[in-house]
Amino acid sequence: MLKNLYQYRQLLKSNVQKEIRGKYKGSFLGVLWSFVNPLLQVLVYALVFPFIMKNTQENYVVFLIIGILPWTWFVTSISQGTSCILANAGIIKKVYFPREILPISVVTSGLVNFLISCIIIVIFLLLSGIGFSINLIFIPIIIIIQYILSLGILLITSSINVYIRDAEYIINFLVNMLFYATPILYSPEIFVNTPINFIFKLNPLSVIITAYRDIFFYKTLPDFLSLFVVFILSLLILFIGILIFRKLEKGFAEEV
Amino acid sequence: MKSSNIAIKVENMTKSFKLFYDKPNTLKERLVFWNRKKADTRTVLDNINIEIKKGDTVALIGTNGSGKSTLLKLMTKIIYPTFGKITVNGKLTSLLELGAGFHPDFTGRENIYFNSSIFGLTAAEIDKRVDKIIEFSELEEFIDSPVRTYSSGMYMRLAFSIAINVDADILLIDEILAVGDQHFQEKCYKKLQQLKDNKKTIVIVSHSLDSVKKLCDRAIWLYDGKIKMDGNTSEVIEEYLKKCG
Repeated sequence: MLKNLYQYRQLLKSNVQKEIRGKYKGSFLGVLWSFVNPLLQVLVYALVFPFIMKNTQENYVVFLIIGILPWTWFVTSISQGTSCILANAGIIKKVYFPREILPISVVTSGLVNFLISCIIIVIFLLLSGIGFSINLIFIPIIIIIQYILSLGILLITSSINVYIRDAEYIINFLVNMLFYATPILYSPEIFVNTPINFIFKLNPLSVIITAYRDIFFYKTLPDFLSLFVVFILSLLILFIGILIFRKLEKGFAEEV
Repeated sequence: MKSSNIAIKVENMTKSFKLFYDKPNTLKERLVFWNRKKADTRTVLDNINIEIKKGDTVALIGTNGSGKSTLLKLMTKIIYPTFGKITVNGKLTSLLELGAGFHPDFTGRENIYFNSSIFGLTAAEIDKRVDKIIEFSELEEFIDSPVRTYSSGMYMRLAFSIAINVDADILLIDEILAVGDQHFQEKCYKKLQQLKDNKKTIVIVSHSLDSVKKLCDRAIWLYDGKIKMDGNTSEVIEEYLKKCG
């Protein structure tokens, strides 16, 4: 399978390019939208949340940005990616190529966007005077874990969506829920002594976002033990994802 | 040694499609109509056995709906057999439909890159071929315009030029050559003849029996999902015409 994918690397590359450039084709700001969108989102939360919750978080805007940018990568991969097989029905019916290319290019183009938008994080870290620490070298580890996790989930959702079209809407709802169950707008500490604290322990996204924040915002080391558990979990999901995808892909051309 | 001479091997292969009268696509429909009578199945290809040797040029003939295109799709691995198996040795390229995977807003040149990458070529390999492809398609003037502005003949010329320049060992072609004008059709058959001389394997679905007779050494006549006759092209075509004519 890997050999086959390697042979089709050019297709992956041009698909990622198409995904990034094609998305905003015809719009005035073009690719800049991938920056502007999360920034506007940050703006809304930064304006609204301090009023609703008595927020005492210092540097709240930077705090938010570090949570929202990785989340944006995750959410665009899953919620837009779920329909990636259906969206490419045209070529699926007529040409053979490894179908895994489609979900892989969704997650990869999200990764490229995320890496570029890390510039925003850097700028805000500089402006706010938080600065950087040597712990930044661990960021790639977190990125790899998030990549594996997203791809695993997407392999499952995108292939199931071909057979049960409702999957798309159910996934969107679940992802929305997950947004509030992940410490993006707030710090998980405020729930430490409440009965719902277990959510943050079980939610892999929570571990991932917290790890980004530990490194960028608090300049400490991430919790390696939790990260390792999430890493194993992600590998497991990826493995299950590949199995499900392999099983279902044989019917793609007939079902789309 | 023996198996390495075989390009495509189809063993006891059966393909059936489910016929849904109103296919449940959503969860609601699945739940509400869970007890609805199971869809009928229709066997499109029934227990097919074919061995195609390397270097063979084979024509698939038969009336509409006899399963020719389905067989090609099965060989390309776009769809999979219900029973039995198909083994393919070597790099395979198929040309099942005009410009499958062309992006209408991209220029001809961009589509050459995109389409060739669908066939599994790398950027360097495409760079090497791009001039040859453009030259063969005779679209020099239009190559940097978006393909949505192309006529269907131009579309076909570009698609065909890309597919035959992939240098696959096995080439599958569905009835598409009819679109080009006389001049381009002749050029295509000449190119196919050249590929044949280079010991490439070609499987072609066609209704233009005369061209098939010239190009192919072997013809397989499919009738109602079964192989009616398999053998020398002119003999098979003669029988076929007797039956249908």
